[in-house]
Amino acid sequence: MILVYLLLISPIIANIGFFFSHNKTIIIKILTIVSASITLIISAYLYLVKPTINGFFFINRFTTLFLVMITSIYLLSSIYSINYVRTGTIVSERLYYVLLNLFISSMIFTIIVNNYGLMWVGVELTTVTSALLIATETSEISLEATWRYIIIVSAGVSIALFSIILIYFNYHTLIITEILARPENNTLTKLAVALALVGFGTKVGIFPMYTWLPDAHSEAPSPISALFSGVLLPVALYVLYMVYLINPLTEIFLIFAILSIITTSIILTYQWHIKRMFAYSTIENMNLALIGLIIGEPKASIILLIAHAFGKAGAFYSSGIVIKELGEKKINNINGLYSRLKVTTASLLLSSLAVTGTPPFATFIGEFFILRKLIEEGYIIDLVLLIISLSTAFVSINYNITKMAFTRKEIENRIHKEPVLLSTISLITSIIPLVIGVLLLVWGVSL
Amino acid sequence: MISQQILELFSAFILISAFYVQGQAYFKPAIYAQAIQSILISAIAIYMGFTLASFDYIFLGIAIVVFRSFLITLFLLRGLKEKLGLRESTKGIASELIINLAFFTTASIIIYYLIIEKISLNVEFSNSSILLFSFILLFQGLFLIITRKSTIFQFIGFIEEENSTILFGVLLLPIPFLIEVSIFLDILGLVIVTSILTLEKTEHSTLDELKG
Repeated sequence: MILVYLLLISPIIANIGFFFSHNKTIIIKILTIVSASITLIISAYLYLVKPTINGFFFINRFTTLFLVMITSIYLLSSIYSINYVRTGTIVSERLYYVLLNLFISSMIFTIIVNNYGLMWVGVELTTVTSALLIATETSEISLEATWRYIIIVSAGVSIALFSIILIYFNYHTLIITEILARPENNTLTKLAVALALVGFGTKVGIFPMYTWLPDAHSEAPSPISALFSGVLLPVALYVLYMVYLINPLTEIFLIFAILSIITTSIILTYQWHIKRMFAYSTIENMNLALIGLIIGEPKASIILLIAHAFGKAGAFYSSGIVIKELGEKKINNINGLYSRLKVTTASLLLSSLAVTGTPPFATFIGEFFILRKLIEEGYIIDLVLLIISLSTAFVSINYNITKMAFTRKEIENRIHKEPVLLSTISLITSIIPLVIGVLLLVWGVSL
Repeated sequence: MISQQILELFSAFILISAFYVQGQAYFKPAIYAQAIQSILISAIAIYMGFTLASFDYIFLGIAIVVFRSFLITLFLLRGLKEKLGLRESTKGIASELIINLAFFTTASIIIYYLIIEKISLNVEFSNSSILLFSFILLFQGLFLIITRKSTIFQFIGFIEEENSTILFGVLLLPIPFLIEVSIFLDILGLVIVTSILTLEKTEHSTLDELKG
């Protein structure tokens, strides 16, 4: 139990670095990386010892995989941020790390707590702690994206509170383990779960409330985009799934998830902004993972989520380097990347293949099992729609990436010196889904 | 003994305050209407607290007055930067109000009678139809956010939405702890964050960079 508390408070303790002198941001940077390492070690330990903790916290094998996911991207983003983040007018470099640590703590709290009400509080806290991080690179666009994020997500999460109130009204408790031990199939719980789909679905990126997502992901600094896409959305998905378990409304969830994937794949065909493209890909992956969870293939969903977390982090890290080095974010204006930034191009290619579910990346394995389960359950029309949408997204993203990497019509021939730390981190991150995929193929799927 | 008529009267005034905000172009009256709306909700909570002899309700009522009616009002007035008589640069407020009354209120009533009433929630002290007020307020808040350009009006819309969850919780059952936490979160997080943003950006329009 002490380890769980340490996991939760370690990022908060790292914030004491804020109180050191203005010129010594190095202290909070080091403390953040130390804290990220500690939380990753604890998460890995909890995963290996297979805990089932009931009480104030509810941690099982499923939860520990989310913890490993959060803490891994936390560590990678912390290291990446060292050379990436500079002081802005609203968020100073020191404040950036404070908010980052609080953001991580709130995500960890959300998934380990054994109470629907406190889970809701955790989700609201993630919004509060992450909002200003979007505005780190202060500009009119990033401020607008931040505002949209706050207003749309908070409005959605308020609707989720209706759901929580109804759950409490029905069960007279909000303890997750108690409620899941006696599921009820009445109209009240159905309404509560449907409202949760709207409420928490806003944060997960479910149609039609996902509009905040491309704005926030594209305007946030790349390490924050990686955290948003790689772990914040899975955390919200975890909460939504926990509410779903009370009274599974499979058909409604499936309709909304498929609608999200279809609309996203259409938007991806004419996407012009490199980071927005990856943001839409996140919506597609989250909804696919949701489908896996609701049709009874949680193992496949978790494989997809973990691989996606690393793949998408790699994609955002690489696009961050591209935007910073070339000063350009329009896909059509970026070309000849391979001749300018070799390592970054490699990571961009690997990560785009990962997030689009190319074999043998682990995302492919997750997607394959989800699609197979759809056939087994007789959802043939849904399967056909999904395959068309996934193929469209695959072609759109990979076409854009290869075009940027290998088109030779360079506008300017300036030699770019690749930032070693940033490109190394993004390459390592992009390779992880491939390694996981190969390991799963060699050793079989057992989590 | 809780009088349903008193609760209905207060709830009706809450809705009137929401419609008043929707029909306003000037910032100051809208901010004050938001404060009055919060006072009315806190009055319901305190009335319930005394009638049911529950300290939680009274604490909730006090918290709403302090945070919503006082602190948020102060913060919003500060956002005006002491410019008296400031008006939002938008048109068609009257038509927005008519659309709101005709469409969203009707939609709320239909949703309520098709879904909530069928569930037949057993509210101890009154008929569950009183919950309709909170649903109308929720949709009203959402509509205000969608239709307005300025940070202040959109923020008031968000507060209206939060008020609707409080009203729903208070009228449905005693679940104050969570609602109190939500109020503290408003203050801790959203107000601080939005106060920073309000200083930087006062209006919101469609930007080409955020299209598609």
